[in-house]
Amino acid sequence: MVKEDCIIVENRQLADTIWTMTMKAPLITQNYIGAGQFILLLIDRLSEHPLRRPMSIANVEGDHLSIIYKTIGSVTNEMIHLKPDDTIDVLGPLGNIFTGFENNMNPILIGGGVGLAPILNLQKELKESTVIIGARTENEHFLTHSIETGLMLTTDDGTLGIKGTVLTVLSDVITKLLKPAIYACGPTPMLKALQTFTIENDIPAQFSVESYMACGIGICQGCVIKNSSKISNSDPTYHKKFDLVCTHGPVFPAEEISFD
Amino acid sequence: MIDLTVHIGNILFKNPVFTASGTFGYGTEVSELTDVSKLGAIITKSITLNPREGNPPPRIVETSSGMINSIGLANIGVDKYVEELLPMYDNIGTNVIMNIAGSTLEEYCQVIEKVESVSSNLVGYEINISCPNVKKGGMQFGVDPTMTESLTEAMRNRTQRLLIMKLSPNVTDITQIAKAAENGGADAVSAINTVVGMSINADTEYSQIYTNFGGVSGPAIKPIGLAAVYKVYKTVNIPIIGLGGISSGKDVIEYMLAGSTAVQIGTVNFKHANAGEMIINELKELADIKQLNTLSSLTGQVKTYS
Repeated sequence: MVKEDCIIVENRQLADTIWTMTMKAPLITQNYIGAGQFILLLIDRLSEHPLRRPMSIANVEGDHLSIIYKTIGSVTNEMIHLKPDDTIDVLGPLGNIFTGFENNMNPILIGGGVGLAPILNLQKELKESTVIIGARTENEHFLTHSIETGLMLTTDDGTLGIKGTVLTVLSDVITKLLKPAIYACGPTPMLKALQTFTIENDIPAQFSVESYMACGIGICQGCVIKNSSKISNSDPTYHKKFDLVCTHGPVFPAEEISFD
Repeated sequence: MIDLTVHIGNILFKNPVFTASGTFGYGTEVSELTDVSKLGAIITKSITLNPREGNPPPRIVETSSGMINSIGLANIGVDKYVEELLPMYDNIGTNVIMNIAGSTLEEYCQVIEKVESVSSNLVGYEINISCPNVKKGGMQFGVDPTMTESLTEAMRNRTQRLLIMKLSPNVTDITQIAKAAENGGADAVSAINTVVGMSINADTEYSQIYTNFGGVSGPAIKPIGLAAVYKVYKTVNIPIIGLGGISSGKDVIEYMLAGSTAVQIGTVNFKHANAGEMIINELKELADIKQLNTLSSLTGQVKTYS
């Protein structure tokens, strides 16, 4: 991992509250190993925010690195004001990557909300895949729905693409594929529903999960996710019940995550 | 050239900037991002007798100019610390201080005995009697002067190394606890540990931390830390290692003026793993401007109105 002052190349709005930022990150991109990895950004002048913000890598091309972000708080709302040639302090690349690709496999990539960032990144790495992106409504989408190209959009309210959730499409898609494998990133309720589905149907699946983070490098032990191993409280253990999202993840086999 | 060195007990530190326990891991994880040998000391993450998983998530949340953590003393346990980490401190290039936590007097004693039974490069111990995040995390010692004194004595009887008691701000009168640590034979106290706090999300209506309460750290608590150091400085004769919200060279000067001999940096390490190096450089520049010969001449020299 490297800490680098990156020069912003582009920062533009994609949809209602969704933006993309591309930056020159020669050192970070050199160390980058694949889709799933993330970076930690710092908007240093916001002294009331002492922590960096984790963001999935959405694309790497040469020494350019892109993220996709949603304006949800004061840090992301400040980020939209950054312009080309401004610099941003970035730590990365961090975390692990999606794995387990086999010959003849039919990868289904599923993204919900800004969870689509690592999913779009993975799509570029794979020769063939089916992509399902879910959102609540039309305004949150910026891609084009096209069953022919295998990019399917869903909206809860039916204003764009297929009405329903990603599961609505998935249950249909899955029947047409011989060797499906699922790669997903998105809000917890979506991942929870997908986990039930993939376990019931015995489909291999990997999820990239989100967490609040402080250090991003395994020091603070803050970003844990509960894993599904059943260890009693009296057992003296360390990192058996909980995994660190930053260094053990952010990508985990679906069945290893406990959403309880 | 300014002399940055400070003495605590019989140990010489190359500068007064130490990394606070729990914010710099075991000191071995960040070599890619910073040169740890530049630091005055590394205080390693709290170690307990047995390994601990820590608390369920969510464990951390950002708050205004700070953060709340409730990690719950997740750690590898003393046996692994002795076997795997102690040998690595032989060549780390700076002083290493081990932080110890426990739930009973016996547990603290067993941990320190295990470490004392092997030869190592450790320069001392910081005893965590103020973790707010576990039911039995030593806090019962840290809020009671009698228990603080007996725990300090028990530690003193088991080591000749530097002995530092880490004080909680979550008490009625921190000076009583500091005095008890001094009476028990501590070489120094560090002040302050995190301040108990809570965060609630108005949208989801959820508490933001699994254990509801956690420890607030970061710039938000600097005024609380400065007041605690100032009060303790007026009460005890042993050195104080000040901490709470330090993120710049200027903050270090303020803490020294309040009465600190050395300081610890914590939350800022999460933002910049090389914060220690940055702050030490800032300190050198500030000392130049102030035309100081020794940094330690600042300790306790705050000008007050009464």
